[in-house]
Amino acid sequence: MATVTYLILQIVMVLLFAPLVNGVIGKIKALTQKRTGAPVLQLYYDLYKLMRKTAVVSDVSSWIFRVTPYIVFATALTASLMVPVSVEILPAGNMLSALPGDMILLFYLLALGRFFICLAALDTGSTFGGMGSSREVMISSLIEPSVIVVIFTLGLISKSTSVFSIMASMAHSGTSFVGPVTILLFLAMLIIVIAETSRIPFDDPSTHLELTMVHEAMILEYSGRHLALMEYGAAIKQLLLMTLMVNIFLPFDLLPTTGSGAIVVALSLLIYLAKMLFLALIIALIEVNTVKVRFFSIPNLAALSFILAFLGFMQYFVLGRS
Amino acid sequence: MEHYLDLLSVLMLLTAIMLVSHKRIRSYIRTFRLQAVLIAIIAGFMGMQSLVNEGSFDILVICAIIVALKVVIIPMLLHKTFANVEDVVEKDFYLNIPILILMSCVLVVFSYFTLSGISALNEGHVNLQVVNAFSVILIGFFFMISRKKAIGQIIGYLVMENGIFVTAIFSTHGMPFIVDIGIFIDMITAVLIMGVMVVQINDKFDSININNLRNLRG
Repeated sequence: MATVTYLILQIVMVLLFAPLVNGVIGKIKALTQKRTGAPVLQLYYDLYKLMRKTAVVSDVSSWIFRVTPYIVFATALTASLMVPVSVEILPAGNMLSALPGDMILLFYLLALGRFFICLAALDTGSTFGGMGSSREVMISSLIEPSVIVVIFTLGLISKSTSVFSIMASMAHSGTSFVGPVTILLFLAMLIIVIAETSRIPFDDPSTHLELTMVHEAMILEYSGRHLALMEYGAAIKQLLLMTLMVNIFLPFDLLPTTGSGAIVVALSLLIYLAKMLFLALIIALIEVNTVKVRFFSIPNLAALSFILAFLGFMQYFVLGRS
Repeated sequence: MEHYLDLLSVLMLLTAIMLVSHKRIRSYIRTFRLQAVLIAIIAGFMGMQSLVNEGSFDILVICAIIVALKVVIIPMLLHKTFANVEDVVEKDFYLNIPILILMSCVLVVFSYFTLSGISALNEGHVNLQVVNAFSVILIGFFFMISRKKAIGQIIGYLVMENGIFVTAIFSTHGMPFIVDIGIFIDMITAVLIMGVMVVQINDKFDSININNLRNLRG
């Protein structure tokens, strides 16, 4: 019963708030540049409009092109089930081990979606698609070593690779990102999140300039409800990665109160939204203050992320202090 | 307390690694200034500790000198020197930046293995702060030999000096006052002389690339 409640609450939260993150980040960016900017709910309007339109499919494309939007959406939604928006919404105790979901499975589910996006971009034979998928594969393979090192270091700290156990153990030990090891992992994870959600130092989500676009180049051929599913999938993935980050590195949602279940859950969800706003603020400020780097400078950032993760691993494991 | 000192030493190591990944003169100076701020905070922490425990003001005075010298005066001097030198971006390196970053990580591992053998430093576990501070010395030195422009040599020297100061303060909880003052005066003199020399080199050779110094000019 508890599992069913969890699943319903989780899916509702994810579906409801995923498009909002983009709107909030866009709004913060616009305000720092003294513009009014698009409304916060812009992505909801876009998705609603796109859902009602027919999808145009090129007649030289194969089944991969048609099936990819559903795979992307499904993998993102499945992966998001493993990342609880708050550890409070699961009842403690024996349920902890019952929630499946491994960090490695999580990242490779997302990689499955990415693999199909890359294939679909190649499928229509457009030059932009090929270029976009080649760039995407390069970025993802550069960032993967640091993903693995961060996962294993977090696993070592909390003695488990299950997402929920990691979050719960971080919450119980009360370690925030202000610590010798966790600050390194936090910064490494920040670079990973920015790379995975194709944001500014790596890719510019708001431009269709053919020289620089990566993610946009891959979904260029999509229209109508296929495009809506792609956009929604990307938004869910972004929410998922940010949730992972705030719940691991800002674990303040373990309330001391032992009040009734519903109030605790509602309060922890409010805290969750506040933490997400904080992270969105950080990401928006990074976007405002940096430029999109030259494509061949991306290895520098990836190497920096890997080094941060590796030093975090070393400070924890070799030096034996957290 | 120890927790925050650990955090500060990690952040200081981080600024050294960030410095290796930069290639603009302004970013060099900005990162150096950030590192100086972190060192001033470390010295402030240590100074408060020694004031409470032993009642001595020495390290707090040194902290004030660091703020004046490394956070304000030296970055200003460097900005002034490099305002009229044309190159703002370093374009060619001996190795590319990802490899430089990976090498500085190897230096951290090396300094861990070197320092883990010294039992006087380590009380049961390896002293994290000294390892990080010692790595900053090595990374500063590595930064010096990896850059071709004269600014790289100056910043590398300053970062090395930062590392030496922090290693000393972490391992001994404060050197004799007169030694620290002597080092600071040496450092400001060195920066002044190097600044003058950079301007001279730029006038004579039209660039501050140290590879050109092999050519003879009559």
